[in-house]
Amino acid sequence: MRWLGHLLVWTVTLLVALPFIWMAYAAFIPPEVIFSGEIFSALGFSLANFEVLGRGGFWEGFWGRLLFSVLLTGSVTLLQLTTGFLAAYAIKEGARILPFFLVLLAIPVELLLVPLYGLLVNLRLLDTLWALVLPFAASPFIVFLLFQGMRTVPEELLEAARLDGAGHRVLLTRILLPLLRPQLIAAGVLAFAAHWNLVLYPRIVAGSKELKTVQTWITDLQRQNPADWGPLSAAALAATLPLVILYLLYERRIVETFEEGLKG
Amino acid sequence: MGRNSAHWFALPAVALLGVFLLYPFLDVLRFSTWDWSGLSEPRMIGLENYQKILRDPDFYNSLRITLIFGVMTLVPFVILSILLALALDGQPYERPVKALLFLPGLVTLGGAAVAWYTLFSPEYGALASVFPVPRWDQSPFWALVLIMLFTIWRHIGYGVLVVSARLKAIPRTLLEAAAVDGATPAQAFRYITLPLLRPAITFLVVIGTVLTLQGYTAVFLLTRGGPFGGTEVLGYYLYKTGFEVGRLGYAAALTVVILILTLAFALAQARLLREER
Repeated sequence: MRWLGHLLVWTVTLLVALPFIWMAYAAFIPPEVIFSGEIFSALGFSLANFEVLGRGGFWEGFWGRLLFSVLLTGSVTLLQLTTGFLAAYAIKEGARILPFFLVLLAIPVELLLVPLYGLLVNLRLLDTLWALVLPFAASPFIVFLLFQGMRTVPEELLEAARLDGAGHRVLLTRILLPLLRPQLIAAGVLAFAAHWNLVLYPRIVAGSKELKTVQTWITDLQRQNPADWGPLSAAALAATLPLVILYLLYERRIVETFEEGLKG
Repeated sequence: MGRNSAHWFALPAVALLGVFLLYPFLDVLRFSTWDWSGLSEPRMIGLENYQKILRDPDFYNSLRITLIFGVMTLVPFVILSILLALALDGQPYERPVKALLFLPGLVTLGGAAVAWYTLFSPEYGALASVFPVPRWDQSPFWALVLIMLFTIWRHIGYGVLVVSARLKAIPRTLLEAAAVDGATPAQAFRYITLPLLRPAITFLVVIGTVLTLQGYTAVFLLTRGGPFGGTEVLGYYLYKTGFEVGRLGYAAALTVVILILTLAFALAQARLLREER
């Protein structure tokens, strides 16, 4: 029985890893090898695929879009953490609004494409940067996650600080911020991944060239040249690497946060 | 400075979520009574959109595909999660393997889709040169299988985590006592582990439903609803009607119908959950 378990684990692990291995391999295949069709027999290494990505103007090419997406999603993540942190603090201090966030948590955001589009049209925000920022500036999930973390901070600690004359600003930045660092990191990575992985939404509400996210850019390239693997894989690898690195840095924290969430 | 002044700190989150989440959620009802393309002036048409949905063969087809896709994804997802969690439990490689299984859920969706596409495409794919890949560009069944595999690939790590957390909560002494009483490992699993895992399994079913609902992104990236509309799940049909065909009023009514269906499903599942407690 035991060996069957090992076999299952390793088969699945290999299959799960396969697309990653392939992505890393295909990104460095020399272009001439792809068109000859002998991709596995003739080993080669080339950076030509990455050079192709740099063609065209910087801001409209791949690297510009990657930079734009990192900055955009990074800012949105910071906003979400800030609004979430402040709201969690308010709840900790006795504001009775936790049910409000819990109800919102149950709304399937995936299904709100149409009314959100309508709202953005009415607010004249369609095809502006705000369309990619404002709807994601706060998240009930992040509020909940950070409140869970704040619950573990002993009330006596905050009370003692208050007696010493500490105001909200000191409590938030000097005491709660360092104590909640692990939760903020985990919440931050998850928030980053969620915004980074929006596919249809940015396409609909911000389709112009200056606002294209790296996701949209890659998907467009795949539509135009489905057979041209080299540049496609290079783009996929370069766009995936930031998240992989972020994940590897904080993997333990992220998995633990999920496990804690499952206990609750 | 009173403690109540801290309540104001919730204002940004409450205001933003009120405007960009709660309001659209309620506003969709108003849009659903419009004949509206997004560019034109909206025209009030009452419940006409809903009447049309009830007579729309594409809607029923899409509903059928969604149900098939849901069952097709849910069953292997649940079984694989349980088997993997059991096989991983207590192994020296448990942590690194779990970490790897979790990765696909976080990485760039578009990039992941490119890797899958270049690997599995029956025409241009890398695997096609090694062995014949089923023609999912021509067969709706294989196209659904592809979407299913992609969905499971992305979320299996979370599924394993759910079962694993529950597994760790089962007291070792319980299984040891059973072994002392002469129970075989198979019997111990059937009569002790499996019943205790039931809450985790129910939770997996709930997650699986959400994944089915979200499956339309994978459909968009890999098959675009094809071949022959064979992978047009409800979410994709909604997107297509609203933003490719440009019938936003009709799409709003579709949103309401899908929300009601989801709600009914969620309530049924909540009842299941409660019965188990």
